[in-house]
Amino acid sequence: MSAAEASGARFTARLLRSKATLLWAAVVGLVLFCAVLAPVIAPYDPLDGDVREGLLGPSGDHWLGTDKLGRDVFSRIVYGAQVALLSGAEAVGIAAAIGIPLGLLSGYAGGWTDRILMRIVEGVMSVPFLVLAIALISVLGPGLWKSMAVVGVVFAMTLMRLTRGETLAAREELYVDGARVVGAGAPRILFRHILPNITPPLIVQVTLMIAGAIIAEATLSFLGLGAQAGHASWGSMLADAQESIRQSFFLALPPGIAILVTVLAFNQVGDGVRDLFAREAKAGTLGVNPVHRGKGAEAEADPPAGTAVPDPLLSVRDLTVSFPQPGGGRVTVVQGVSLDVGKGEILGLVGESGSGKSVTAMSLLGLVPDPGRVAASTVRLDGRELTGLPFDELRKVRGRELGVVFQEPIASLNPAYTVGDQVAEVLREHDGLSRAQARERVVELFEQVHIPNPADRLGDYPHQFSGGMAQRVMIAMALACRPRLLVADEPTTALDVTVQGQVLDLLLELREQTGMSILLITHDLGVVADVADRVAVMYAGQLVECGPTEEVFRKPSHPYTEGLLTSLPRNVRRTGRLPSIPGVVPAPDAWPEGCHFADRCPHARPRCSGGPIELAAAPGGRATRCVRAEELTLTGVGGTGAVQIAKKP
Amino acid sequence: MTSANTANTDAAGPAATGDGSGPLLRVRDLTVTFAGRRPAPWRRPATTVAVNGVDLDIAPGETLGLVGESGSGKSTTARAVLRLLRPDRGTIEAAGFRVDGFGRRVPAGYRRAVQAVFQDPLGSLDPTKVIGDIVAEPLAVHVGLRGPERDGRVAELLEQVGLGAQHARRYPYELSGGQRQRVSIARALAPEPRLIILDEPVSALDVSVQSQVVNLLEDVRERTGVGYLFVAHDLAVVRHACDRIAVMYRGRVVEEGPADRICERPAHPYTEELLAAVPDPDPARQRLQRQRRRELAAATAAPAPNTAPAPAAGGCPFAPRCPHRMPVCTDTFPDRTSLPGGGRVACHLYDAPVTTPEEVR
Repeated sequence: MSAAEASGARFTARLLRSKATLLWAAVVGLVLFCAVLAPVIAPYDPLDGDVREGLLGPSGDHWLGTDKLGRDVFSRIVYGAQVALLSGAEAVGIAAAIGIPLGLLSGYAGGWTDRILMRIVEGVMSVPFLVLAIALISVLGPGLWKSMAVVGVVFAMTLMRLTRGETLAAREELYVDGARVVGAGAPRILFRHILPNITPPLIVQVTLMIAGAIIAEATLSFLGLGAQAGHASWGSMLADAQESIRQSFFLALPPGIAILVTVLAFNQVGDGVRDLFAREAKAGTLGVNPVHRGKGAEAEADPPAGTAVPDPLLSVRDLTVSFPQPGGGRVTVVQGVSLDVGKGEILGLVGESGSGKSVTAMSLLGLVPDPGRVAASTVRLDGRELTGLPFDELRKVRGRELGVVFQEPIASLNPAYTVGDQVAEVLREHDGLSRAQARERVVELFEQVHIPNPADRLGDYPHQFSGGMAQRVMIAMALACRPRLLVADEPTTALDVTVQGQVLDLLLELREQTGMSILLITHDLGVVADVADRVAVMYAGQLVECGPTEEVFRKPSHPYTEGLLTSLPRNVRRTGRLPSIPGVVPAPDAWPEGCHFADRCPHARPRCSGGPIELAAAPGGRATRCVRAEELTLTGVGGTGAVQIAKKP
Repeated sequence: MTSANTANTDAAGPAATGDGSGPLLRVRDLTVTFAGRRPAPWRRPATTVAVNGVDLDIAPGETLGLVGESGSGKSTTARAVLRLLRPDRGTIEAAGFRVDGFGRRVPAGYRRAVQAVFQDPLGSLDPTKVIGDIVAEPLAVHVGLRGPERDGRVAELLEQVGLGAQHARRYPYELSGGQRQRVSIARALAPEPRLIILDEPVSALDVSVQSQVVNLLEDVRERTGVGYLFVAHDLAVVRHACDRIAVMYRGRVVEEGPADRICERPAHPYTEELLAAVPDPDPARQRLQRQRRRELAAATAAPAPNTAPAPAAGGCPFAPRCPHRMPVCTDTFPDRTSLPGGGRVACHLYDAPVTTPEEVR
């Protein structure tokens, strides 16, 4: 299946799932059907009637009765749909033809063009729409098409403003820079690159605008400024009904209901389309997702040496995380991970993107997005079983015994509150401290993470901190309740390399002081070598190797670990081409039954793909998931000589 | 925005006519400032100097690495060369064009000769276009290729970067990070440029893919003779990918020279600090690195007030953090001194010995 088809198919699938939108789209379809086939459907001429048969009630001849002039109301409603849709199309067409190009121009060119156009828009929009329309129509003279043209021009202002806003945002995108570097001129960038990317909000706006235009048409026709005697319009039908309201109140109902239903249908379709586009961006909701008790028997064999340590602080067995797949079924992104974190130990969890390392850590915290399902035979923190805990209980453990530090320190802090308040909130929530006590403790914590002048910086907002300092605030927050385990998810990836060193130093120092354990998730092998006592390497949802850092890095026992270590660019003199692992990490739904790494592995044999491969004990107190571990001699790092950096003069 | 550059407008157009005779890139005294907030509506906006008097040279077919931390001005320099922003001062000659002399319109010839690959491989590809159209865009703009001819050339380009013709029909989000970066490279190669600006081309990629892309860039250079300006923050990557390296700190080039010399015998204290911070996967080596980093940090035990603004005029921007700080450092930016192993350094430690190094603590 080609990409376009796949993407289109997904969109259609979502559309079919939102039944309400489909229903309203059917209503729109019905109105459209009436409009197109009006001459066939309508039993009578909408403009011609017999005055003697005026104001008849509904009957078999006249389903909805007749008006004062004896015209068939049903026929007029059907023809009215034609007028409503045509005038809606006219107004919106004019609005799009004027508003979108000018909005693009205004947003892209900026400067004086933008200023002048926007002042015009503001001027037009500051006058109530109907007053403006009536004033213009009084100059141009009444008439359906003229008045809808005026409506179109007024609507163009709204569309122009929206287009300009979207263009301003899109103009800053990297792909626009890319197009400029390639040599594309302004028209090409605007119409080939920016316009297709801002189409979704425009489609939504245009759909909603049709509804607005239909109301405008009805209003103007009701006032006698729109449809004239030559047209059957819902608005003018209402005006007629008003004249004879004392004789027959029923006449007001059919056009009123027609307007109501049509406008409602367009609005609902517009909202539905907006939701469809929005859902493209975010899939699940974050939050309540505790670990379920997995199927495995309690008394299963201990995992191989290397993953287990005596008297662990955190012990995870057989952790599995799966997500529902768009096409039905579930895809497992973490497969049976077992690992221990010892007391006061730093365990580095390493892997590339898509390896499942972050999902593993987040699942322990109950932070896997909602459709995901987390199961484990046991997750034990300091002797306490976490599987099967209700969310409220898990939340308490999460704040008190587990601390978390994320990758983007500034994005992880709430920009609307001072950092002091944010850290204090944790303390007041979990430890029930008073305002003054909390403040004192925050100053203490800031001192502990070496933020200079802590008392002065409490009142600062996150944006006033550099990345490194913001990460210190995050660490202070994680430490607030003296956790036993700190989960650090890529804590230094977003930081400059010189700052990275300082933050890692801080983590080591805090471990020394508090005796806490750290689960450090990272893709950077250098960071692991720097601070981790033991390392667990993940590839495609599985733990492939686990053991003491020094052992594993010097003499890896899994070919993937070898590949990672040797392909990492290091600060050493280069010999020949950089070694690299061929191919790419396969997607979770394409993971093979056998060794997940087999098709990229230089040492692969047919038996590697035979069936699931178990994690087995290997020399040096570790575990490896490779059937050839014993026969292979793999290259690690080390023995490359001492650091050759000459001293300063 | 930057204030308009008015100098040198007369020198627009090709400066060096002989193809390949002159340097591929020659930047002199490049200065870019950004306007910040106005303290009050009637006051002039405060300005930040993002790039301050930068000189760079790239010979045809050479790779120059431009290294620095965030805020060092390395990406701003790259954007000035690409004419995505206008410099305030200085000259840029690239592929025979006087870039600083361009008006609003950039000559098509320049857009052919100088291409770019950006850091974020997903963000830099238009999400609404299929790969084939993305790669073909330069061909459409510059060559006007259509139909089967175009498709053939696209297939050829994709093959050069290790992708198959089947990828041409996919959308960017359907590819992995490494494959997307290959697409960016294929697009950059399409108009047969002489210089490619690589702005953090491998930073967003996984380790195992980084080296694939570095190797690919090298193959492309060998085959086509293109030159690279390789902007990155990772010294280890840059050392492997580049012939020469220029180190930037807060808008200044503080050291420049052959890659191996810089990485083995750094002259500037900042380069030294940067190297000590590069983590190494060899635990033994990393212990030495850590020790070295601690020594350096201890030597700078009393840093000047944190986040103190770099001395705007004159002065070495690194002075507040420097373990070898001298009184002269805060007043005057040092001249560049040639070094024995090749390259130059801008540091008062290497001045002719008129003043004796007087370390502050």
